[in-house]
Amino acid sequence: MFKLIYKEFSLAAHPTLIIFMFLGLMIIIPSYPYTVVLLFGCLGPFMSFLYARETNDIFYTVLLPVKKDDVVKGKLLMTIIAQIGQLLISAPIAVYKIVTNFDLNSIGIEANVAYYGLSLISFAIFNLIFFTNFYKTAYKAGQAFLLAIIPSTVVNVAIEAVSHIPATQWLDGISREHLIKQLPVLIVGIIIYAAFMALTYKISVNRFRRVDL
Amino acid sequence: MKLLQVEGLSKKYPQFTLKDVSFSLEEGEIMGLIGKNGAGKSTTLKSILNMVYPDKGKILIDGREFRQFEIECKQKIGVVLGGIDFYNYKKLSNITTVTRKFYHDWDDFAYQKYMQMFELDEKKRVNQLSAGMKVKYLIAIALSHKAKLLILDEPTSGLDPVARDDLLELFTQLVKDGSRSILFSTHITSDLDKCANSITYIKNGQILKTAKKEQFISYFQYLKNPDETDDLNLEEIMIRTERKTYHV
Repeated sequence: MFKLIYKEFSLAAHPTLIIFMFLGLMIIIPSYPYTVVLLFGCLGPFMSFLYARETNDIFYTVLLPVKKDDVVKGKLLMTIIAQIGQLLISAPIAVYKIVTNFDLNSIGIEANVAYYGLSLISFAIFNLIFFTNFYKTAYKAGQAFLLAIIPSTVVNVAIEAVSHIPATQWLDGISREHLIKQLPVLIVGIIIYAAFMALTYKISVNRFRRVDL
Repeated sequence: MKLLQVEGLSKKYPQFTLKDVSFSLEEGEIMGLIGKNGAGKSTTLKSILNMVYPDKGKILIDGREFRQFEIECKQKIGVVLGGIDFYNYKKLSNITTVTRKFYHDWDDFAYQKYMQMFELDEKKRVNQLSAGMKVKYLIAIALSHKAKLLILDEPTSGLDPVARDDLLELFTQLVKDGSRSILFSTHITSDLDKCANSITYIKNGQILKTAKKEQFISYFQYLKNPDETDDLNLEEIMIRTERKTYHV
């Protein structure tokens, strides 16, 4: 597994994957729709898939002493690291903003506990659709991205909307009570992300096995 | 001992069918897989390597079923896919650093030796290498992880005559001690005259003949015209077998 990750980041990943991971820091921007940050967590892997196609990464990987399935595993691990990395990079800023009550977000959702849970759900939906569609052919990355980014953007708009709907405003809160109340959202987000990644892997591998390179 | 056994490989495409392809490769042998463009040479090689999903068939490498022991089998294989370059803008040293991690039997000393022997500079990027040098780099990698079987898809296509001759001489040297074997596809029959011990001829997705080179040539002498005294060479055999007549 570590060898695959090493290969992904040494040879296959496009530099934007790392740059976009650090765009998690964008939650420092005052009054900004923070789900835009999530777009970069999807764009980074997408750029790397295009780059991998350009560099014949699939051919190189499939000829290494690994299973054909490991081609999918490598890309999925790379994506998980990029997305979780992005959220972890942003976390200290979110904590700082909450503790200091610094510049409350008037545009959309705060970078609070619920934001992280809902972000994971957004990423999970994107990954499931993107990976499973891409590995039908192992080259139609643009089409897979388009199919995946539309529903995940709808989810992102819904996440931003919670701050404007009275019934869901507790999801936008940063008070101690609100943050505790949001904890189940984070837990559900983690569970959905983990379950979706397992499902994504299973479906993608089944499809990729039948792809003729 | 048989290093590679291909048994009943079949694959159906909408426009093309690979039908019941079977042949085997002994240790210390160089086998040429010939056929015209589109005959199924690359599909056969890719099916052997699990890059193409065959409908039927079994591949044994060193006696082990490839799909069941994919990782172990790949440890013993070196592959060159003609016309497919990996990571054009990466330095060879970067690619080697990653590649070596995947092989149990990686030998750094051997790697340095072959890089020097083939006059390859690790600091160069892939796109700075000539076509022949790219093939040699992949062979250096294969030899460094002690590959027993080299599978080469059209390795000599696009090479100048000097580079081609150089590569064919290298192939001959590689199998000399009897521990390695080479399976390479080509449509350049003169490559086989120089270095192949056996030939497998594929036509329209089916094996026409697989045999030792001498037996192969004598089998096709029925294509000779009555007035011809010299034996037909491989090129003539292929041309006469594939020749079409157009009634325009």
